[in-house]
Amino acid sequence: MSDITIGVIGIAVLLVLFFLRVPVAFSMAIIGFTGFAYLSGPQAGFSILARDIFEQFSSYSLSCIPMFILMGCFAFQTGISKRLYDTTYAWVGHVRGGLIMATVMACAAFGAICGSSAATAATMGKIAIPEMKRYHYDDTLATGSVASAGTLGVMIPPSTVFLIYGILTEQSIGKLFIAGVLPGILLAFLMMITVAILCWRNPAIAPAGARTGWKGRLRSLTGIIETLILFLFVIGGLFLGWFSPTQAGAIGSGGVLLIGLVRQQISWPGFFEAVKDALQTSCMVVFCITGATVFGHFMAVARITFELADWVATLPYSPTTIMAVIIFFYFLGGTFMDSMGLIVLTIPIFFPVVMRLNFDPIWFGVIVVLIAEMGVISPPEGVNVFVIKSIAPDVPLQSIFKGVLPFLAAMIVCAVIIMIFPIIATLLPSYITY
Amino acid sequence: MESATMLSTFEKFNRRLSGWLEWIGMIGLLVMMFTTCIDVFLAKFFTRPMQGAIDAVMFAQLIAISFALATTLILNRHIQVDIYISSLPRRTQGVIDSIATLIGFTFFVIVVWQLSAMGHSFQAAGEKSMSQLRIPLFPFPYAIALGSIPVCLVFLQRLLSSLVKVVKG
Repeated sequence: MSDITIGVIGIAVLLVLFFLRVPVAFSMAIIGFTGFAYLSGPQAGFSILARDIFEQFSSYSLSCIPMFILMGCFAFQTGISKRLYDTTYAWVGHVRGGLIMATVMACAAFGAICGSSAATAATMGKIAIPEMKRYHYDDTLATGSVASAGTLGVMIPPSTVFLIYGILTEQSIGKLFIAGVLPGILLAFLMMITVAILCWRNPAIAPAGARTGWKGRLRSLTGIIETLILFLFVIGGLFLGWFSPTQAGAIGSGGVLLIGLVRQQISWPGFFEAVKDALQTSCMVVFCITGATVFGHFMAVARITFELADWVATLPYSPTTIMAVIIFFYFLGGTFMDSMGLIVLTIPIFFPVVMRLNFDPIWFGVIVVLIAEMGVISPPEGVNVFVIKSIAPDVPLQSIFKGVLPFLAAMIVCAVIIMIFPIIATLLPSYITY
Repeated sequence: MESATMLSTFEKFNRRLSGWLEWIGMIGLLVMMFTTCIDVFLAKFFTRPMQGAIDAVMFAQLIAISFALATTLILNRHIQVDIYISSLPRRTQGVIDSIATLIGFTFFVIVVWQLSAMGHSFQAAGEKSMSQLRIPLFPFPYAIALGSIPVCLVFLQRLLSSLVKVVKG
C-alpha cells in the first residue's frame, strides 16, 4: 500500500473514532501516532508522540492561550458584563427590540475582553434574558438572539479561535486579531438590522423598554471606561509591539482581576472558579493542538496535504469555486463539531490548499472562524443554544433553535459580504507590521 | 450490587485524586500569569526583565496542563462529536463505550510509558533548558507521566463500568 493510501485509511479510522465518541484531541493523537509508527517504524512513532506532547505542553507560543482564556474567565466573574449591558441599555433600551440591540452591543463589547462565544452567551444571557422576560419579550426571539450574539465574542479580539488558527498556520496573532474587528462590527450591525426587521414585522415580540434621560445615558458611559482602557492597553500594546501575545494575555488577566478587586466584585470562590474553569478549558485546547500536531506529522509523512494541494491545483475549476466548496464543508462540519475542534482538525489539511490557490491567509482565517461559528448556534451541536437552555430552562430547545434562524441568516449574509469584499477583513491588518 | 459499590468507590477515589492534582495545575496557571506580569513590569519600568521568566512560564504551563488532564476528562470538557447513542439498546451502548474507553486507556498507558522513558533519558543525559538558568529538564516529562496516571485510572474505571453494562444488559 502506498503512503497516501495509509493516510486515507488513517482519516477514515479517525472518523470511526469520532463516532465511537473518543474525544477529538485523543483521536487525532492516537491515529497520528499509529499511522506515523506504521509508516516510519514503531520506535519513530513512540518518539514523535512523546516529543510532541512534551514540546506542545511546554510551548511558549501556546502560553498565550491559557492567558487569554483566564482573562475571559475573570471577566465572567467580575460583573463587567452587567455594567456593559447597563450602558448599552441606557442608549437603545427605549426602542422596539432595544433590549436585544443592547445585548448585541454588550456582547460585542464583552468580546473585547473575552475570547469565547459560549462564555459571552452565558455571561450576557444571565443578565439580558431576565430583563427581556420582565418586558414581555417573545421567548424564542430573546433566547435565540442571545445565543447568536454570543458568537461576537470570537469575532472581536481577543479571540481564542483566532489564536489557535494563528499558531497552526504561523500567521501574525496581531494581524488576525485586528482582522476580526471590522467583520465583528459588521456582524453586530447585521444582527441589529435583523432585530429591527423582526420588530417591524411583529411589534408585539419585543416591546420598547423604559427611556433613560441624556444625563443617565452620559453617566452610564462610566460603565464601559474600564473595558475600553483595558482593551486599548492589551490589544493596542499587542499591535504596537509592546507585548508578546502571552504578555498581552497575562496583563489582561491581571487587569481584569485588579478591576474585580478594586470594585470588590470578585469573591474567593469566584476567583477559584475562574482559575479552575480557565485551567480545564486551556487543558482541552492545548491537548487538542497536541493531538493535531501528532496527526499533522502523520499527514506529512503520508504526503496527504501536499498531494491534496497539488491535486486541487490541477482541477478544472476556478479557485473561487474550490473555495466555495471548502467553505460549504466548514459549514457542514460546524454543525457536528465545536468550531475550535473543526479548525484544529482541518486547517493543517486545507491551509496548504488555500495557499496554493493564492488566497489571503488572514482573510481565510476570518471566513473560516465566521463559518465555523455558525455551527455553535446550529443543530445538532449548537453549544451556545445549550448554554442558553441552561439559563432559560423553561424555554424548549426547539424554540431557541427557531429563534436563532434569523440571526444565522445574518451571519450567512455577513460571510457573503466578506467573500465579495475581502477588504473588510484585510484592510486593518495591512496597517499592522507586527 | 458488589461490583456497583466497588466501581462507585473507584470513581470517588479518581475524583478525589484528580481534584488534588488540579490544585497543582491551578497554581501552575497562576504562576504563568504572575510571572509574566512581573516580567513585563520589570522590563518596561526598570528595563531589567526577569531572568528565566520564559522558562518559568513554559514549565508552569506544562505542570498546569498535565495536572488538569484527569479532571478535564472526568468533567467531559474535551470536544466530542455529538452522536446520539442514548436511543440504542443499553448493551450496544456498553459495547461502544467499552471499545472507546479501551482505546483511550491503551493510549494513555503508552503516554505514561513513553514520557517516563523520555524523563529517564533526559536524566541520564543531563539535559538542561537553553536559557541562562540551565534548568534540568528531566522532572517535566515525569510530571506529564504522573499527570497521565489518573487519566489511565479514569479510563479503567469507565471501561469496567461499560463492561458491567454489557454483561448485565
